[in-house]
Amino acid sequence: MASPSILRIFTLQPNLGVPIYLQLIHQVRRMVASGQLTPGTELPSVREVATEYTVNPTTISKAYGLLENEGLVQRNRGKPMTISPGRHGSASLAQRLKQIEPQVEALVLAARQLELKAADLCEFIEKKMEKARD
Amino acid sequence: MTEPLVSTRGLGKTIGRKVILRDIALEVTPGSIVGIIGKNGAGKTTLLEILLGFSPASSGSAQLFGHDSFALPATIKGRIGFVPQQDELINLLTGQQQLALVAALHGHWNAALIERLRKTWEVPMDRIIQNLSGGERQKLSTLTALGHEPELLVLDEPVASLDPISRRRFLREMIEITAERTRTVLFSTHIISDLERVADQIWILRDGAIAWAGPLDSLQESVVRLSVNARRSLPSVLPLAGCLSQRVAGERASAVVTQWTGQRLAQLQETLDAEIAVEPLGLEDIFVELHS
Repeated sequence: MASPSILRIFTLQPNLGVPIYLQLIHQVRRMVASGQLTPGTELPSVREVATEYTVNPTTISKAYGLLENEGLVQRNRGKPMTISPGRHGSASLAQRLKQIEPQVEALVLAARQLELKAADLCEFIEKKMEKARD
Repeated sequence: MTEPLVSTRGLGKTIGRKVILRDIALEVTPGSIVGIIGKNGAGKTTLLEILLGFSPASSGSAQLFGHDSFALPATIKGRIGFVPQQDELINLLTGQQQLALVAALHGHWNAALIERLRKTWEVPMDRIIQNLSGGERQKLSTLTALGHEPELLVLDEPVASLDPISRRRFLREMIEITAERTRTVLFSTHIISDLERVADQIWILRDGAIAWAGPLDSLQESVVRLSVNARRSLPSVLPLAGCLSQRVAGERASAVVTQWTGQRLAQLQETLDAEIAVEPLGLEDIFVELHS
């Protein structure tokens, strides 16, 4: 059994419209890039994630399969999957920004539609990030 | 390639002059949780009844475990569990007696599983069924279909009378059942948020025909909303393939399209001389758009 803390690190929202496997992939990528998930960290099994979050196991196993293809995680015979070596926190600022680019593009478009100024938006983001840190 | 558990071809059903189902072609592979949605009267129950062999198809074929649905051998029937929309419990029995009766009809009965589930689902065992609430009856009815550990579990609106906590427990059990990929669940429901959680395959029935059938992931990726922000006035009707709905106002537009792929984005931005944001849609929105 994976430890309860690692089991609860994901935030899966089935009604978001974004397929659950994509939500999981994005979260693992971000957590590896930021160093929250370090090499050798054991991931919960497909079944554990599926029952913990009450989501279909197929979508979880699809996410793990794609993460494995990317080389971000590795399968270990008879043992839990782990974060691959040599990837932790190694992502440069540019790489990490690249990962968040789709969300930023969507945000920029929405901001333009609302005719918000960049400075006001940045200030708002800073506030939100401070709040998230607390 | 795994043999499909359920397969239909050109399946149709007509009662009198009314067409209930037409040209249904579907397949289910083992280990899936298939969610069936459709408006009232779309044909969900009729489809399940034909699959299970309760009523014959008017045209085409339906097969279960490779056998014609309407001529299922008893051995195959024993591998199926069915929970109908209207339960078939015996009013004057207690829950305990009802379960004992069903258990006696089956060669194999997992009493430990049923004991565990009746505790977690809080199903009263000592009251006569007549005095149970709608939700309690529904849970008991589901237990009667689980004890023989069927390979294929078919449920017609299994959660309609359940409270949110009971629903969540029920969904968790469906995941447990299918986790080994050897057992399969088919269920119809109106509670779309449940499907977004537990289904990996979705069938959307509309007026007796399949409006969409396939993996939930693919459906969510192929039906999206486009928010268009152009540099000049847009044409009054956007030239969008697979468009379900659109609204154009000057340089802005919003549209819902099907068969979307990321590759279409760059070209569309160029054609319309616009920035386009692609937003995902929840299954409920997709369902409504497919009916617009």
